[in-house]
Amino acid sequence: MESAGQLIQSDELTYQDFPYIIEWREDRCTRCGKCTAVCPVKAIEPTVRTQRVVRSEGSTPVPTAKRITVSVVSQSRDIERYCVGCGTCSMVCPTEAIRPVYNSHHRFLIYKNKGGNAYTRGGRRNDPSPSTVEQLKFTRISMLTDPALDAGRHEFHIRTLLGRNLPPEQLPVRVEGRKLVKDAEAFIPPVREIFPIRIGSMSVGALSPHMWEGLAMGVAYLNEVEGLPVVMCTGEGGIPPRLLKSRFARYMILQIASGYFGWDEIVHAIPEMKEDPCAIEIKYGQGAKPGDGGLLMAYKVLKLIAEIRGVPQFVDLASPPTHQTKYSIEEAVAKMIQAMSMAWGFRVPVYPKISGTRTAQAVLNNLARNPYAAALCIDGEDGGTGAAYNVSMDKMGHPVASNIRDCYLDLVKQGKQNELPLIAAGGMGKSGHLAANAAAMIMLGASAVDIGKYIMQATANCLGDEYNRCNLCNTGRCPRGITTQDPKLYRRLDPDMVAQRVVDVFRVADTELKKIFAPMGRSTELPIGMSDGLSVSNREIADRLKINYAC
Amino acid sequence: MAVSKKTKNSPQNSKEPTVPKAVTVSGNLDGKRVSSRVLEERIQKAVAEGARTLTVVADGQHGIGGRIWPRGEKVRITVEGPSGQRLGCMGMVGTEIVLKGNASDDVGWINCGARITVLGDVTNGAHNAGAQGILYVQGSGGARCETMTKRNPRFEPLQSWYFRNVGDSFAEFKAGGIAVVCGVNSRNPKNVLGYRPCVGMVGGTVYFRGPIQGYSEVDVHLEELTPADWDWLTTHIGPFLKAVRRESYLEELTRSAADWRKLIAWTPAEKAARKGKGKPGMKDFRLQTWEAEVGPGGIFGPYIDHPRTLLPYVPTGTDRRNRPVWNNEKYLPPCAGACPSRIPSHKRASLIRQNRLEDALALVLQYSPFPGTVCGQICPNLCMDACTRGHIDKPLDIKNLGSLSLEIPAPAKARSTGRKVAVIGGGPAGLSTAWQLALDGHEIDLYEAGDKIGGKIEMCIPRERLPQEVLEKEISRFSEMGVKVHVKTPVDKKRFQKIYDEHEIVVVAVGAHQPRTIPFEGHEDVVPGIEFLKEVNFGKPRKMKGQSVVVIGAGNVGMDIACQAWSLGASRVTTVDVQKPAAFGKEMEMATSYGTEILWPKFTQKYDKKKKKLHFKDGTSVDADTVIISIGETPILDFLPASVNTVRGYIQVSDSGQTSDVKVYAIGDATRPGLVTHAIGAGRVAAEAIHAQLMQYDYMAEIKTVIPYDKVKTMYYEACRPDFSGGGLNLKKFSAEAEANKCMSCGSCRDCHMCEATCYWGAISRTEGEGGTYEYIVDPERCIGCGFCVGICPCGIWEMEENR
Repeated sequence: MESAGQLIQSDELTYQDFPYIIEWREDRCTRCGKCTAVCPVKAIEPTVRTQRVVRSEGSTPVPTAKRITVSVVSQSRDIERYCVGCGTCSMVCPTEAIRPVYNSHHRFLIYKNKGGNAYTRGGRRNDPSPSTVEQLKFTRISMLTDPALDAGRHEFHIRTLLGRNLPPEQLPVRVEGRKLVKDAEAFIPPVREIFPIRIGSMSVGALSPHMWEGLAMGVAYLNEVEGLPVVMCTGEGGIPPRLLKSRFARYMILQIASGYFGWDEIVHAIPEMKEDPCAIEIKYGQGAKPGDGGLLMAYKVLKLIAEIRGVPQFVDLASPPTHQTKYSIEEAVAKMIQAMSMAWGFRVPVYPKISGTRTAQAVLNNLARNPYAAALCIDGEDGGTGAAYNVSMDKMGHPVASNIRDCYLDLVKQGKQNELPLIAAGGMGKSGHLAANAAAMIMLGASAVDIGKYIMQATANCLGDEYNRCNLCNTGRCPRGITTQDPKLYRRLDPDMVAQRVVDVFRVADTELKKIFAPMGRSTELPIGMSDGLSVSNREIADRLKINYAC
Repeated sequence: MAVSKKTKNSPQNSKEPTVPKAVTVSGNLDGKRVSSRVLEERIQKAVAEGARTLTVVADGQHGIGGRIWPRGEKVRITVEGPSGQRLGCMGMVGTEIVLKGNASDDVGWINCGARITVLGDVTNGAHNAGAQGILYVQGSGGARCETMTKRNPRFEPLQSWYFRNVGDSFAEFKAGGIAVVCGVNSRNPKNVLGYRPCVGMVGGTVYFRGPIQGYSEVDVHLEELTPADWDWLTTHIGPFLKAVRRESYLEELTRSAADWRKLIAWTPAEKAARKGKGKPGMKDFRLQTWEAEVGPGGIFGPYIDHPRTLLPYVPTGTDRRNRPVWNNEKYLPPCAGACPSRIPSHKRASLIRQNRLEDALALVLQYSPFPGTVCGQICPNLCMDACTRGHIDKPLDIKNLGSLSLEIPAPAKARSTGRKVAVIGGGPAGLSTAWQLALDGHEIDLYEAGDKIGGKIEMCIPRERLPQEVLEKEISRFSEMGVKVHVKTPVDKKRFQKIYDEHEIVVVAVGAHQPRTIPFEGHEDVVPGIEFLKEVNFGKPRKMKGQSVVVIGAGNVGMDIACQAWSLGASRVTTVDVQKPAAFGKEMEMATSYGTEILWPKFTQKYDKKKKKLHFKDGTSVDADTVIISIGETPILDFLPASVNTVRGYIQVSDSGQTSDVKVYAIGDATRPGLVTHAIGAGRVAAEAIHAQLMQYDYMAEIKTVIPYDKVKTMYYEACRPDFSGGGLNLKKFSAEAEANKCMSCGSCRDCHMCEATCYWGAISRTEGEGGTYEYIVDPERCIGCGFCVGICPCGIWEMEENR
């Protein structure tokens, strides 16, 4: 009989094929099991390993064999249980005995298609190289030429306008005596003064209740204690009626996407709302996954989500990549903006968000002609998501820098650059330079920027990065409790800490924006489109963005 | 005016001074303004030449009165006319400047000790970066006065006195010195210190009198004057008022310390401690602001029913994500899973390890009446093929273990139930089910058409493969079971009906004895294999000496036939088949060892008995004195009533062997062709179901899956080493004990305590129940769900479950 010890191994992978290899130090390990208990993907497991040592003691070869079988922590080589490198094991290890090590020559994607299932994940484009916006520098430093300001001494008012900002001559108002009188039935677009960095759309459902409430609470604190008018977009996934009916609703941009989840509940709540929301964002696309929709897996649709979204429990909730019954730009944009404006009596700015695309200018020019369009948000390829096909994330989308720049210069041609704000999203702060990235985008022509991944990393220690670390958002197994509906996981996350960190992040962003704007002599008005203050040490980028080349 | 003649300290003391001690230096000669450089040179020259009292008639020149290097004497400079910026800039100790009128910007810039009196207002930046000396201002100060002032411990602190008020951005980055703003007739009646004073101030003191509108609270704090402050102020205010000719205000200004307040800088430690003070902590904000507005429990309060406390990453109890379960015997070991009779070889091994060899060998009889015959002789031992031990060396020798049970007496029967069951057919299936039912205490009638029981084991298996004494031993043990055996009792329709009427259950185990044939030309001259084998075993073999024998059908029975043909003296034996031969194992080995030729694929066309040739469709042929066909048999079922369904010649049965007639079961080859072990297994399964049916309890066939191999930790076991004494087991010599030690007890706890020992948290313990039973249990309040018990368990008992 053939010894079954010769098991067929042709379908097994080697550790070298995996993106992270567990480095386990037997000499330090106490076998307390915390690492294996905490591993979100069961990539490590306890097992036993045998050593057989043949020794000879004495002056002649006299063999003695010793077998010892010990318990060990071992990494799985099953591609379905690949180590995601999150490092939760090393976090809980009391003896620093275990950690995942990135393996730069892995061949993970070649194998991550088992069973014919395309690889889906959370996170963003797995490209750690510096983005275009990251390469931009501020090279106009005024000392003697302009009245330079001192960020530490002067008072700054870092604010931007969200909403259509009509030039004075187009405002339907006239002076009668000493009073400003509005023409009857004339429309003055609503405009909000907000901090130019916003928390971008992340839904209840995509985020855990602790994370979502932490963000919302931090935003409220910033507005009410710190005096920083930071706003956040709710994403589309329903909004708890308690928040909608509270005064904090004014710090919220309500998003309507293609799934229309929770919108009946929102409509029901409108008569009971104390405050208008900050704005309405109509999501047409997402930078991380252009052309790809959203899907909240059935196992994430627990009681809370079901009730807030107004759906049955435990069903898959699809947000298709396109809105239904919209067949042209004109029709799509016009009817969505009209409908959403009407809901709050035309008192709330309504604007669309699209993914970065070569067709952005077509959308922009349509909006420029639509008096009710309040802004355009463009979400570039470096944006994050809770769940998407890897191919959409890695290979689809448009860098936000040139997209915003082209749109801004288009507006300049039409003389509308101060009228229709552009909002840039996707990869802001990807390398940690949030304020610098925001300032660079502003100087390229954006009125504001959105952050998503950054705020998750900064406030809740999200482990994800561009080396595909963790990125488990789509699985409901987020080790930090950020993107999960499992109370066992999200109760790891302290909403107060999240809120406090939101406050910290924006206070620092405020300080750093001052540091950037002060030497340009700007303290009260954002240098939107002030591209002569920017340089880049790459000739092609400089030419493309029409900014200075400096080296 | 007393002016000293001494010039020792003068940098230019080579010459005696020749100019008067009091001089006037004019900044405008003949209506023409002299440059700041020239005026400076003239002043310096005059001082160098001994002048100690100077009157400077200024015309907007820069920096008048500064840099008069100390000579130990006072140098008094009175400035008349419009002074330029930076009056007294870098003024030195001993210099006293009086400006008769308003000053321009930056009076006393980097003052290093001069006393500067301005009999008017100062504009922006007065005493900017001043370090020592005094500035007396009769009027008010402009914006950004008192910024960047210093305190050098080698000198007295800087003093700056403003009689009226000061402008915006006062005392920014002030690091030392004392500024006094008296607030008399303030130009801004609501605010004597201007907009946002003291930004970045880190040292020094600002005394002021009168209203203010805020200050940089992160940098400084507002305090009442202490007695020491008041003492200093009242001491120094007199000279100030005198210098600016406002002595009449002395009483008003020194009326009460309560009229005054001061701003002093927070220390770095205080600043650090104050950081975030005054703002609510996030918890307070949540409770007092957030939840006050949205409701208790926050925005998700109405939807959340779990406690709002935080959880550690590695919790215990109900908060664990996974929990271990001691799933002893949940899975079948691969051996029992592969054995149709489910003989638990792992339990046999366990009993042997416990020194209970007798019990171990007797255990098998609960599953099969023929361990010696079947397991030990004729079974291909599917159990051994499956044995996990084979993954590291060789499977357990279950064949020999089976033989060990040969001498074991029949087990005790259960108490009689009085229930009557008939079994038709005395082959392995019928004997197995009769054995099991008899053990259960039922009364069995067994009907056999032949004159002996044993069926194909008896009739068809070559004696070489099955020693007669082994079979006889086990048949005789069977006979002890008290089954009423009716030999020479063929069953026809009529007898069947009678049996059916007289018994509660009838088990049909008639086997398959109708040889299958192929209707090629000459097939009537072909000998059915089963007939041939029966002839041999009944002692009436046909003559074959020197013959060429061809066997159609190269399965295991074909091989048995070939062996028998050889032993009857055949000179050449060929087996042919239409496909790859199905024969395997011992049968195949024996047949080929005799020299049996195996040809395939061969489709028989005809047999020419006269020419002794067997022709194939491919045009070839072989010599064939005798052709035996062995392509299977079908059952003979003509006795069955219509209530028993058949399909394609076999009786249709459920998994437990029940036919469409609930009183009738069918097992063995009558239901589908199989190995002897399949027949025995089917007999046992049917007996279980029949027993349940008779005893009227719900029967659920045991549904167990076979344990996945990777659950069993083969790493614990050393590969057997035939000749090395270093702890390995010896492969060459069979012993029950050695085999038992080789057994890995797949899926069945071997009570080794490894789990208990490995659990870091002491969560696992062993408890004993009645009758020597035991189990390992988990204390959920200690367990973190790490899975080390799973990982270490040699037998694959522990499993992790989601902790819902």
